[in-house]
Amino acid sequence: MSERDRQADVIVVGGGVIGCAVAYELARQSISVLLLDKSLPGRATSASAGGLWPIGEAVGLGCGVIYYQANRTDTGGTVETEQGPEPLPPVFRDFLAASNAQFPCLASELRDASGIDIECDEGVGLLFVMFNEQECAFAQRLAANVPRDLGMQVLSAQEALRIEPLLSPEVFGGVLLPGEHQVNPMLLAEAFKRAALAKGARFRSDCCVEKLCIEGRRVVGVQLDNERLHCKTVVNAAGAWAGELAATAGIKLPISPVRGQIVLSEALPRTLRACLSTSGCYLAQKRHGEVLIGSTTERAGFDVSVTIEAIQSLSRAAIRVVPMLQNVRVKRVWAGLRPGTPDELPILGKVADLDGYVNATGGFRTGIVAAPLTGRVVSQVVAGKEPEFPIDAFNQSRFSSE
Amino acid sequence: MSAAIAAAEAGVPTTIIDDNPFPGGQIYRQPPLQLRSDENPSTTSVRGQQLLRRFAALKGRIELLQNATVWGLFPQRALAISSNGGWTMIDAERLVLATGAYEYVPPFPGWTLPGVMTPGGAQIMAKTMHVLPGKRVLLAGTGPFLLVVALSLARAGVEVVGIIEAGGALEYLRAMPALLAEPGQFLEGMRYLLQLKRRGIPVYRRHVVVEARGDAELREVVIARCDHNWQPDASKQRTIEVDTLCVGYGFIPRIELALMAGCEMRFAPELGGWIPVVDDEFRTTVSEVWVAGDGGGVAGAIVAEVEGELAGLSVAESCGALSRAELSRRRRPLLRRLSSLRRFRSGLDRLSAPRPGLTRLARADTIVCRCEELTRDEVELGIEAGGTDMRTLKVMTRLGMGACQGRMCWPSVARLIAHRTGKDIAQVGPISVRPPIVPISLSELAAEQVVP
Repeated sequence: MSERDRQADVIVVGGGVIGCAVAYELARQSISVLLLDKSLPGRATSASAGGLWPIGEAVGLGCGVIYYQANRTDTGGTVETEQGPEPLPPVFRDFLAASNAQFPCLASELRDASGIDIECDEGVGLLFVMFNEQECAFAQRLAANVPRDLGMQVLSAQEALRIEPLLSPEVFGGVLLPGEHQVNPMLLAEAFKRAALAKGARFRSDCCVEKLCIEGRRVVGVQLDNERLHCKTVVNAAGAWAGELAATAGIKLPISPVRGQIVLSEALPRTLRACLSTSGCYLAQKRHGEVLIGSTTERAGFDVSVTIEAIQSLSRAAIRVVPMLQNVRVKRVWAGLRPGTPDELPILGKVADLDGYVNATGGFRTGIVAAPLTGRVVSQVVAGKEPEFPIDAFNQSRFSSE
Repeated sequence: MSAAIAAAEAGVPTTIIDDNPFPGGQIYRQPPLQLRSDENPSTTSVRGQQLLRRFAALKGRIELLQNATVWGLFPQRALAISSNGGWTMIDAERLVLATGAYEYVPPFPGWTLPGVMTPGGAQIMAKTMHVLPGKRVLLAGTGPFLLVVALSLARAGVEVVGIIEAGGALEYLRAMPALLAEPGQFLEGMRYLLQLKRRGIPVYRRHVVVEARGDAELREVVIARCDHNWQPDASKQRTIEVDTLCVGYGFIPRIELALMAGCEMRFAPELGGWIPVVDDEFRTTVSEVWVAGDGGGVAGAIVAEVEGELAGLSVAESCGALSRAELSRRRRPLLRRLSSLRRFRSGLDRLSAPRPGLTRLARADTIVCRCEELTRDEVELGIEAGGTDMRTLKVMTRLGMGACQGRMCWPSVARLIAHRTGKDIAQVGPISVRPPIVPISLSELAAEQVVP
C-alpha cells in the first residue's frame, strides 16, 4: 500500500448509514475522504427497520412509546398514565422533518449515482393504534401540542379500520401521521457508499481502528492494528461504538448501546397499507412483502443475543394489533445496537479543546431518517462552512455543563 | 445416538433432541411402524441395527424427544425447540451437536424442474415411505452414496438407467493405497459395484450432468464428458430420457447451530466446507459445546459413530462421571480406529471433493438462489457491484433472504465469488444464520411454552 493510500483530508470511522452519508456529502464537495468500516455484530443500520417517522419519533409515537414502556415498571403493555412519553424538543422534530423531506430527491440522486434503488416506499403514513381510553387521552394531548401543518389526525376506531382494514376490531382509535414512510436502511447505506465511491471517496472494510492519533491539540489520524492513517479531520460515525473510539482521545462521549430486537415474517402479499405502531411493537411491511415487527429497547451492553422473552412479547403485540398475522411464519429474529444518548438526541459537530475531530453519532432510533441531513451538516462543519441547519442543540457541550 | 450411549452408560442424564419420528438419523432411518413388517424387513444395515439395539437397551436412561426441531440456540446453551405445534426451551449444561450434513447440488440448467431431486431425497422416499421416486431414474454427482442409492432404488423396482460419476478411474487407482486402509469398507464398495454390474446398471465416470430438460416436468437429461476439473466438454454430450434425476455432489456439514453457538469455524474443503474448530476430544471453542459426526466435517456414518462415542466420553469425563484415566483408556482404541478410518476417507475425499468445473454449469439465466429466484446473471451483477461477502450481496440482491438463509445457494455462490474476485474461498466466509433456523409461526412464538 502506498503512502498516498494511507492519507486523506478526512477519515470517517464507521460504515453505517451516518458514516456513508457523511462520506457521500464530503465526496460531493470534492474533499478527499477515506471511509473505514469494520464488520461487527449488531450494527444498527443493518439491524434497523428503516422507518422514516420524523414526527412519530420526535413526539414519541414510534419506537418511543415502547421505550417509555420499557423504562417503566410493567403495566400490562399499555400506556396507563396520562403523561405518556415526553416529546423531544421541537428543534429535533424540525431537524428530522427537514431530513425526511430530502428523501424523494435523494432517492433519485442516489439511483443515478449508485444504481441502487433505496426502496423509498410511500404508504398511507404512520398509524399509531390505541387500545384503551388512557392511550387515547395521551395521544390527543400529544396531537394538541403538534403544529397543525404537520397534518397529524386523531382517528376513531372506525376511521382507523377504514385506513387499515386488517386491524383488530378491538382497537380504540388511532393517530395518523400521513407524511411518514419507510426505506430499506441497508440499501440506503450501500447507496450512499457506492455514490461516495463514484465521486472519488475511498473505502476500506474490516478496518480495526484502535485509537485516534493526537498531536498537541489536534487529531491527526487513526491507528489501525498494524498501520497508521493520516488526515486533517476524523469524523466519528462509529455508532454504538463511538464512545469507545472517542475515549481513545480522552473525549467523554455519553453513548451507550441500546439493544433492539426485531422479528421478521416471511414475505406476504401486500397486507399493511400503513406503518403501524402501538405501545407494544411497531409493524412495517417492507418492499418485498416481509412484515417487520420491532422492537425492544434494552440496555444490555454490546450483547446482541436475541431473547425468548422479547420474541414472545413482540409476537404477542403484533398479533394483538393485526390478528391475521398469527398464522404467518417467522423467517428471522435479530438484534441491533442503537447508539443511545441520555437525552435521546444525536451528538453532532466539533468538540471543545480538540481540533480535527467531529462527532456524527448518537442517532439512537432516528439514524436512518436523520442520515440525509446529518450527512450534509457534518460535511459542512468539516469543510468549515456554516451548517444549513443549526446544530448547536446537538453539540456534545450540552453534557459538560451538567 | 453414539454420543448419548457413551454419556448415558457412564451415568450422565442425557436427552436427545431429534427432528425425526424414530431414532436412526439419515443413514439408519427407520420406516414408520405401519410400514414395518416381516415381508418388508428394514434395510438398515447390521451396524445400524447394532447401534439401535444398544440405544434401545438404555431406554429410561436416555430421554428421547422425537419430532422435535431445534430452531434457536440462545446464550448459555438454551435450546429453543418446536414440537407438536408448540415450543419449549431446554437449558443444556453440556451440549453435543450432531447435526449431520445435507447434500450439495450446484445449480445447472433445469435443476429446478419437478423430477430433479437429491439421492438422499429419493432414498427416503423409497426406503421409508415406500414410494418410488420415478420409473426411469438417472443418478449423478459423485461419491459412494450414489451407488448405495442406485442399488436401493433398483431393489425397490425402479429402472436405474445409470450413474454419472464426475470422478475418474485414474483417480481411483491413485486413491487405492488410502482406500485399502479400511479393507472392509473398500470391499463393501466393490460389492456395490459388482451388484450394480450384475443388474446391468452402467457407471459413467468422468461425466457430469449439464442440463435437465422438460416442460412441466423432467423429460431428458444431457450429460457430457468432463476433464479432471469436472469442466464438461460440450462436443461430447449425449441425451438420456428419464423421468427422474437424482443429483448430489457429496455433502455439506450442517453448521447453523455451531454458528449460533459462536463456535470458531474453519474452512475445510475436504470435509465439505465450513466446520467448527475442535480439539481431540471434539470440544468446540465454546465452553461445554461439543460437535461430532458429519456436522463437524463430512466423513460418513462409521466415523460419526466413533466421533460420537469420543465426544460422549469427553462429556462424561467433564461431568465427573468418568475418571481422566478411564477416559484415556477408552479413547485409545477409538482414536486408532479413527485414524485408520480417516486415511480411508482422505482417499474418498480426493475422489469426491467438488471441483471448479461445477461452478460453471449454471447459465446466465439459471436460477441460483431458489428462495428468491435469482439467476446467475443477477447474482453476478451483485458481485460486480461490490457484493463480495454475504452481507453485502444479500443487501444488493436479496440472495439468502429466503427461508433457507443461504444454506442451499451459498456454497455455490461463495465459489462463484472466489472465482470472480480471485479471493480464496475461505476469505469469502460462511453463511450467517439467525433464528429460527426452521420456520415457526408467529402464534407459536406468542404462545406459552409447552412441556416437552
